[in-house]
Amino acid sequence: MKHSEIQSRVKKVISEIIEIDAASIPDNANFIFDLGADSVQSVSLVAAFEEEFDIEMDEDKALEIQTVSDAVEFIAGYL
Amino acid sequence: MTAVHTEKFTNLQKIFYPGSIAIVGATRSVGTVPYDIVNNILKSDFQGIVYPVSPREQFISSIKCYKYVTDIKDPVDLAILVFPSSVCHLALEQCGEKGITSVIIISAGFREVGGKGVERENQIREIADNYGISFIGPNCLGVINTDATCSLNASFARRMPEAGNIGFLSQSGALCTAVLDYARAKHIGFSKFVSFGNKADISEIDLLYYLKDDPQTKVILLYLEEISDGPGLIAAAKNIINESGKPILAIKSGRTVEGASAAASHTGSLAGSDEIVGAAFEQAGIIRCDHIEGMFNIAIAMTYQELPHNNRIAIITNAGGPGVLTTDAVIHEGLRLAEFTPETTEIFRRNLPKTANIKNPVDVIGDARADRYSIAVSHAMKDDGVDGVFVILTPQSMTDIETIAREICAVAADYKKPLYASFMGEADVAAGIDILQRHKIPHYSLPESMSRAYSRAYRFKQHLRTASRPAPVFDDIDISRAHAILDAAIKAGRYYLPEAEAVQVLEAYGLPVPAHGVASSEEEAVALAGKIGFPVVMKVVSDDIVHKFDIGGVILNITTADEAGDAFRSIYGSVSEKMPEAVIKGVFISRMISEGEEIILGIKRDPSFGPVIMFGAGGIFVEICKDVNFRVAPVDERTAEEMIKGVKFSAILSGARGRVPKDIESVKKVIQRLSQLALECPHIKELDINPLLVLDEKNGCYVADTKIML
Repeated sequence: MKHSEIQSRVKKVISEIIEIDAASIPDNANFIFDLGADSVQSVSLVAAFEEEFDIEMDEDKALEIQTVSDAVEFIAGYL
Repeated sequence: MTAVHTEKFTNLQKIFYPGSIAIVGATRSVGTVPYDIVNNILKSDFQGIVYPVSPREQFISSIKCYKYVTDIKDPVDLAILVFPSSVCHLALEQCGEKGITSVIIISAGFREVGGKGVERENQIREIADNYGISFIGPNCLGVINTDATCSLNASFARRMPEAGNIGFLSQSGALCTAVLDYARAKHIGFSKFVSFGNKADISEIDLLYYLKDDPQTKVILLYLEEISDGPGLIAAAKNIINESGKPILAIKSGRTVEGASAAASHTGSLAGSDEIVGAAFEQAGIIRCDHIEGMFNIAIAMTYQELPHNNRIAIITNAGGPGVLTTDAVIHEGLRLAEFTPETTEIFRRNLPKTANIKNPVDVIGDARADRYSIAVSHAMKDDGVDGVFVILTPQSMTDIETIAREICAVAADYKKPLYASFMGEADVAAGIDILQRHKIPHYSLPESMSRAYSRAYRFKQHLRTASRPAPVFDDIDISRAHAILDAAIKAGRYYLPEAEAVQVLEAYGLPVPAHGVASSEEEAVALAGKIGFPVVMKVVSDDIVHKFDIGGVILNITTADEAGDAFRSIYGSVSEKMPEAVIKGVFISRMISEGEEIILGIKRDPSFGPVIMFGAGGIFVEICKDVNFRVAPVDERTAEEMIKGVKFSAILSGARGRVPKDIESVKKVIQRLSQLALECPHIKELDINPLLVLDEKNGCYVADTKIML
């Protein structure tokens, strides 16, 4: 899967969980600092990424992901 | 004040008196810390501008939000970070870019959780250093300033406390909320209220210095779980107490081993040795308290009223039993019962019932109403032989409790003398107690607490009268000789200095060591003993032997040349037989001092306070008697005197039961020289002089045995 496609789908997931416009999400946005995710949303993101990409991520490492670009890199490693 | 200190003070001023505040990480989610912080600032009627900063919200409580702190056009004095710890560094970086130099970091998840939390704390400290930011926290409740010119509740405590003159500093945030609730019920007010959490930047020492110059603060209370800069804390406390006269009351938790362990897991704290903490506080003039209630009992006495000039107490009571209890408590705390002047006694005789006790404690009898209390209390206050008045009340059916309370408040306002009250009971006396507390009359449920509070206030007044002098620096010290011996031992990988070398280190510092030398043959031993002068003592010299006595390595009271030869052979024979692997370097011979009282002196290095000096009753039962006390070096003459007077054995040195007093002056000098040695020879991990034999007055003292561990 292309990097740009992963990024686009990651932003779509984020936009659904955090309820913001996907187009307004910068590539290197921090979920909490830039997008205002709360702790529940941060956990929900991990589950939503797994469902979106049909993968099972290492939970501890997945919870350390803080930015869109980190998420894209991390998920790419599973595909 | 250095440039760094001036900068920190300016930044602290903006923390307590900001003109504008950015709350970074604010949300509209009710019941969260970020929401409550914004809400509390708004509810506290803050006299400045508030800028909520939130990545998502457009407004909070009708106030416009900013996505980033850098989006705010106007200058911001103070930023309060309430973001999760994982992004605090990003928020702090932006504060730096915005030019904000005063920050409170409320967020938890730093050093106290270990691992990554430690890295995060180091990261925010580095950012703060880069931008010249001073910050309180992280992992704290926040800051409260009740001064009406600012009126700031930048915390997630439930409510703003009453304004008052107590400055409260706490390492524990949760304790703060309990304290605020306790104080509210008793109408105790605060000037500044600070939870400083992990103290990653601004420490309790910085805050103490700030409160020293805070005109609203009269008394400073401190709750500590961890002391990271013991000498700094002592120096700050001494400076504040001596220059401002403001008392500092402190609780240091983790007194027990179990408590220390709990503290370590709670705020990443490491508890120091409790005896040393106690000694250091006393040395600094800090009043150490065991619990919150005890601390406030003393604090209200010192905040509401004048410090006592002396310790003569008048007790006014309407019940005999409580009068006796109070008398016992007064005496137990080292206070005295005042003797009334004949004029006062005559007024009492004329105005109180015949059945009343007109001597101290004055019993105005169970049916006393406000008029009787008024006469007794006002004339006791007026009496020049009285330094403080304790008013005791028990609720009888005819006792007009509230009127009596008002009368007491009115009388107290007319005099500059301490007046404390104890309305004993609970439900019936509640309204009267409330009146007293609202009028700032120190009230205590028990006479014991009342007497203790007075006693601590009086002792503090005495402490202020006797300012300490700097510790002397002796100029007859041969520091290079001492260092040469210690350096050589460390280079050789030794951790223990044999007595023959240890006494040379002591000699280099002018400590009184009897004549001595080392002999490596029987002939040398006989000659050396003769030269030193009999009687002498002989001890084996070997790096391999610590407990010389057990293997026949020590022989005392050698009185002739023949005995000296026999002793030398006996030591060599016994040691060679019992420890054949030990390398014997010779025999240490010294003049035997066979008289004098045995005391122990020592040096220990404490992780929080550095070199600590020990003094106490010496001999082989030191651990059983435990009649010792400690002081942090440097030790001045007054402190040395306190050390000596602070042990029970002091009475024996002073000449108990008709014995000739011992040479305490020479001991004071030895303590001060030992203090200088401890500071100048950091190689020494521990040192024991046991015993130091103290001879009669003007005859000095001698080191009879010593051990140095490296």
